[in-house]
Formats: sequence, C-alpha cells, structure tokens
Amino acid sequence: MKEISRRSFLTSIGAAATGSLAISANQALSQPTNILSEDRRGVLVDTSNCVGCRSCEWACKNAHGIDAGDIESYKDRSVFNNMRRPGIDSYTVVNEFSNEKNPLLPIDVKVQCMHCDKPACVSACIVGAINKHEDGSVVWDTDKCIGCRYCMVACQFQIPVFEFEKAIQPEIRKCDFCYERFKKGKLPACVEICPLEALTYGPRNELIKLARQKIKRNPEKYINYIYGEKEVGGTSWLYLASRDFQSIGLPKLNNKPAPGVSESIQHGIFAYFVPPVALYSWLGAMMWITKRKEEVKQEKEIDYV
Amino acid sequence: MKKFYLIVIILAIATVGLSSKWQDNKDAKPQKKSVSKAKTTKTGKEKSNQQKMMKKLYTNCKTCHTYEYPTKSDPALVNCPRSKMISVFHRPEEGPIIVKMNDIYGKYGPVIFSHRIHSEMSEMSGGCNGCHHYNTTGPVLKCKKCHAEERKREDLSKPDLNAAYHRQCINCHRQWNRNVNCDGCHKLKENDSEQKIAILVNAVSNAQHPEIPHPEKVVYETKYNKGKFVTFFHDEHNKIFGIQCIECHRDENCIRCHDINRLKKGNNISFQQKKIHKTIDEHHKPCVACHQKQSCDKCHKSNIMDRFNHTITAGWALKHYHQTISCNKCHGGKIGKVNRNCSSCHKKWELGNFNHSVTGIILNENHKEIDCESCHENKNYSVKPVCNSCHDDKNYPKDKPGRIKSIRVVSRK
Ligand code: SF4
Ligand code: SF4
Ligand code: SF4
Repeated sequence: MKEISRRSFLTSIGAAATGSLAISANQALSQPTNILSEDRRGVLVDTSNCVGCRSCEWACKNAHGIDAGDIESYKDRSVFNNMRRPGIDSYTVVNEFSNEKNPLLPIDVKVQCMHCDKPACVSACIVGAINKHEDGSVVWDTDKCIGCRYCMVACQFQIPVFEFEKAIQPEIRKCDFCYERFKKGKLPACVEICPLEALTYGPRNELIKLARQKIKRNPEKYINYIYGEKEVGGTSWLYLASRDFQSIGLPKLNNKPAPGVSESIQHGIFAYFVPPVALYSWLGAMMWITKRKEEVKQEKEIDYV
Repeated sequence: MKKFYLIVIILAIATVGLSSKWQDNKDAKPQKKSVSKAKTTKTGKEKSNQQKMMKKLYTNCKTCHTYEYPTKSDPALVNCPRSKMISVFHRPEEGPIIVKMNDIYGKYGPVIFSHRIHSEMSEMSGGCNGCHHYNTTGPVLKCKKCHAEERKREDLSKPDLNAAYHRQCINCHRQWNRNVNCDGCHKLKENDSEQKIAILVNAVSNAQHPEIPHPEKVVYETKYNKGKFVTFFHDEHNKIFGIQCIECHRDENCIRCHDINRLKKGNNISFQQKKIHKTIDEHHKPCVACHQKQSCDKCHKSNIMDRFNHTITAGWALKHYHQTISCNKCHGGKIGKVNRNCSSCHKKWELGNFNHSVTGIILNENHKEIDCESCHENKNYSVKPVCNSCHDDKNYPKDKPGRIKSIRVVSRK
C-alpha cells in the first residue's frame, strides 16, 4: 500500500509537471494495453514429454509467414550441438541438454517469449508498441515502434530481437502467442502441432493445478517447482522439469516483476512529448546501469549454465 | 526555457524512481482468486473420508464416476480413472494381433502396430500397464476410450489421442534408434495406397518376434576374495530346469535388447551390459526367488563353476529314462525340494522285482533277501535308511549293506 501510494504520488508529480507543459497531445496514443485477465491463457511445457522433434519451430515459422523450409529438414539433430536463442526468423527454438540419469533420453527445452503477467517489455516501451492482451499474450505492434530497443534491454528472458540487418523500418520480433490465431479461436501453432503434447494450452489457473497434480503423482519424475508460476511476477508459459531449471537454460530470476522504473515516467510524460535524443540516451544509460546492477547481483548468486 | 525545466523535472523524478524499486505494478496485480468450494450435501464425517481418499488418489469422484452418488450395484464408472488400478491381466494371445491406428486426421496414413509382438515383449517389461497405464477393473481399454481426439478441449488432465499414441511409442523407440523422425512409423498418405496398406497389414499380422538369443553362461566377478565368482548357466535354468523367461525377466528395460548399437552387430548380440549400479538386494533378487534357503557358497565360489551335474550334485547318476524326463517329474514343482520316493512312479517295486543296484549300492548276500521296510522305515525312501532294527553298532552311511557301484559320470546334454 505504501509503495503504491509512493508510486501514484510520483506519477502525479510527473503528470502535473508535464501536463502543464504539453497540453495538446492525446494520452491514449501511447498508453499500452496491459490487461491481466483472470481468465488468461497459458501453456504448460512439460520438458519430460518433449522429444526435440522441432515440429513446433516449423509450425511457428509457418504461422508467421517466415520461410520454414521442408519439415523433413528438421530431423537434423546436429543443431543441438549449440545453444540457440530465438531470432528474427525463429520465434521459438528447442535446445537439448544431456541427461545424466539416462543418456538415451536427453532433455529438450523449447524457448520462446514467456508472456509475462507483468511484462517488462511493455513497461519499458516508451510508445506503447507492446501490449498485453486478454488472452495473456504480449504482442509487439508494428505501427508504433520507434526502434529504441528498450524492450530488448528490459526483458529478463532476452526474448525480443531486432532486425539489425534491415535499414528501413526494422522490426522487433518475438513470439506473439499466436494472437491472430487466438482471435480466430485456434490454438497456437506450436501447441497444435506438437506430437507429444509437451505443450498444454489452457487457462493459466488450470495449468498450475495440472502441473501440481503431475508433480504429486510423479514425485520422482519432476522436481517440485513450476517455473514461471512466480518468476518476475508470473508468466503465461510455465515449465516442468526433472531437474533444476538453470541447468536446462532457464535463467534464475526473482519473483518480483522487473522494476517499473521507466514506466511511470514514460507513460506519464512521453505520452505528451517527443523528447530529445540526449534524454533517450540518458534514460537508456540509467536503465542499463540498473539492469547491470541486477545482473551483477544475480551473477554473484547464480551459476548460469 | 520550458524544455530546460521539463528536463530538470524529469531527471529529478527519474532519479528518485531509480533509487527506489517499485516491485508492484498496481495495474497488473492479479486479483485474489476466490476458491470455489463444491457444494455437497454429505455429512461431515463422510465428507472428510471422501476428501482423504481423493487426496490419496489425487483425483475427485467425477473423475471415476459419471454421477454423484454411485452405488455398489451401479458404480457408474467412467472408462479412465486417473490412478493405477489395473486388475485384469491378459495373456498376449487375448489381445488384438494388430492395431490399425487411423483415428487422427492428417497427412499421414495409418500406422500398423503389432500389438501381439509388443504385448509378448511387455511380459518381460512390466506387463500390460506399461502402456495401458490407467484402467478400471474391467477389461483393458483402448487408448481412445480415454484420450480425446480433439486437442482443443476442456479436460486438460490427459493428453489427446495423438499425444497419447506418440508418448507411448516415441519414448521407448527414441532410446534405441536415437531419432524421432516421423517416417520411422508413418508413411505420407500420398505415398500410401490401399494395396500397400494391405501388404503391410498382412506382414505385420504374421510378424513374429525373432528368437531371443541368450547366453549360455554368465560369470560374475565380485569384489570379494572369498567366493569371488558366481557362475550362472542361463541355458540350464531355461532348458533343463524349464524356467520361463518371464519368471526372472519381469521388469526389463526394452533397451536391454533393443539398442541400435547392438543391432549393428548383426546376429552376434552382445550381452555385455553397461554397468548399472545395483544394490546388493537388487543383484540377488532374481536368484533368491528360488535359491531362498541356500547358503552363500552355493553360488559364490573361488573358481568358475562347472555345469550342473546330477551325479555330483545329487550323488546319483541320471541314466536311461531318467535322463529324458524333466526335473520336476521327480522333484515336484520346485527344484530343490527333493522327493526321493521312487515308488511314487515305481509303484510295483518290491522285494523280488527290484534291482537294488540301480540306487548305486549292490546289496551283499545278507541283505539281498530282507524286506525293504527293514531298512527303509515305512517305505519312506527320502530319509536315510536305518540299521538299528538288526544291528546295534552299524550306521548308514558309514556302514553300507553292500558295495558301492563304481559310477561313471555321464554329463547331461
Ligand atoms: S513439437 Fe513438441 S515435442 Fe517437438 S520439439 Fe516442440 S515441444 Fe518438443
Ligand atoms: S518474456 Fe520478455 S518479451 Fe516476453 S513478455 Fe516477458 S518481458 Fe516481454
Ligand atoms: S505461440 Fe505462436 S508465436 Fe509463440 S512460439 Fe508458439 S507458434 Fe510461435
């Protein structure tokens, strides 16, 4: 309660200060949609069921107009020799980790945007180009983006990627939880194709119950932890695994949402105003410093794999 | 000037903002979920019992029963309760020979699955419930009885049919062929034809599991000096003692035989296994099931043991007819439990028509003519004979009623 009042206090100062200076702008322009619906969807990724067939990678590309190539070419398991990250032409990738308990059953882990409940990318975006929708999806919107890449810096899962190669109208690219398909009543492309249903789509509340049930029934199979239930304030995508999540490439994060540092300033002030370049870089530097502090702090605590 | 003021204000606010961390985002805070409690008219005691049970099963009534108050006579069971309760075990022959999996719409043609071969193999690796994991007390159910064909569905507790099939197949198969390629089991519809499917159905229906090769002898070398070696003659246990594979091999992992590395070697399947750490109990488990009461040195020897030899082990050479009959003809159901009462088969044996020399002892003149019962009390041939009905100072086996026949050791094939 105390914190909220401090926050609203600061917001109101900001709003008051800028409000008097920039009168004509329309606030609605840059306010992002940020719905946290009770009924929001999620996906439970059961890494013990994933076999690393990479059909999801193929389906995701196909659903987003990216050249996916022949599905037969996804047989190639040599891609697992390197850790991969989502990129501009692949919103999701599957990585493989060796399993010392049974070397013949390696652990495969699909990575994509987590669709945070309190998305740092949404908070960081100055112009409200990223929105969180009623289904839980966090979607980047082409029209508004000015290419500042704050979202990339803000995301603790390092998900958004920027089309550096493109000189004109470069885009931020990331998994959009197949928002377009959702609106048509379809499942996300990756969920629909997964031959093992390692990805279970449903109301997030239900998925947490399901995950608990799975852990209870199979205590030898899973560690007693649902990754994403609490991380950075909760995420729509949840993970179950047989061993600790840092060893399968998921970062150790605390349960608090990324600091809403920029949010109040940006949404409160920049809504009315296009600031000079100097200010951008100053804010950027401050964000980088805080992020760096966080990282340094975390690095001290955690072993990244 | 205005701009300058603005920047100063922003800087001030931002600095304050950065130094204090707002962790809570008021807008995005999820509302506390109200826990909905199912309405029930049951009494308190009933309710708590029921809850206890449900907690144990991690399930609720509706998972197993179609209506709220099932009775004994009409339990209204749904097909697939989500807990292990298989009580009906079938022999492999009772199940279908093949299963034509063609329930899922898609670009692939049917998969012809040899249910018989898999169920035969499953006898050595956990039985029906290796695949038919949940079942009511009725007959074993087909996958699609429980698993919905629709992926977009309300009940998320169990995977859809597509995933159910794939989980069952891929999780084993990928361990030995190291791949998860679709074309391992599927043929594209465009490359399939009725004719080809018919040929496949026929081939799979008639397919037999190849004979399982097995070792003749396995020597375990323990780390102890005393009784260092344990020699196990696999073929004896199997062929002579007539022990069925599944009596020892119940919980084998498929990989024990099915591994790509092994298949590569062609027919010479190696039985050298990777060392798996086992506890002492696990090591002994397959043996002690039968060799319960024997002392350690029955198996743990300082040298590698020779084959089983009835003459040496029992002191009685198997010859003629006895060489051809199975062990339990004389030994009853369980090897080791010896019934030396020959008269259970040789009913007419009595003085006059019995040649005592077959027992290994050729009776001397004094003993030739006396009744069997004088030495073998109550005609019980399984206990040692007595001498004291006539002799005060004699004792078998120190003293013998004749001479020992010289024994020629004949090893059994
Ligand atoms: S499609 Fe499913 S099983 Fe295949 S890699 Fe993706 S998540 Fe794993
Ligand atoms: S994972 Fe990153 S990109 Fe995705 S919603 Fe969270 S903060 Fe945004
Ligand atoms: S939800 Fe859609 S966009 Fe995201 S990884 Fe799956 S297919 Fe790709």
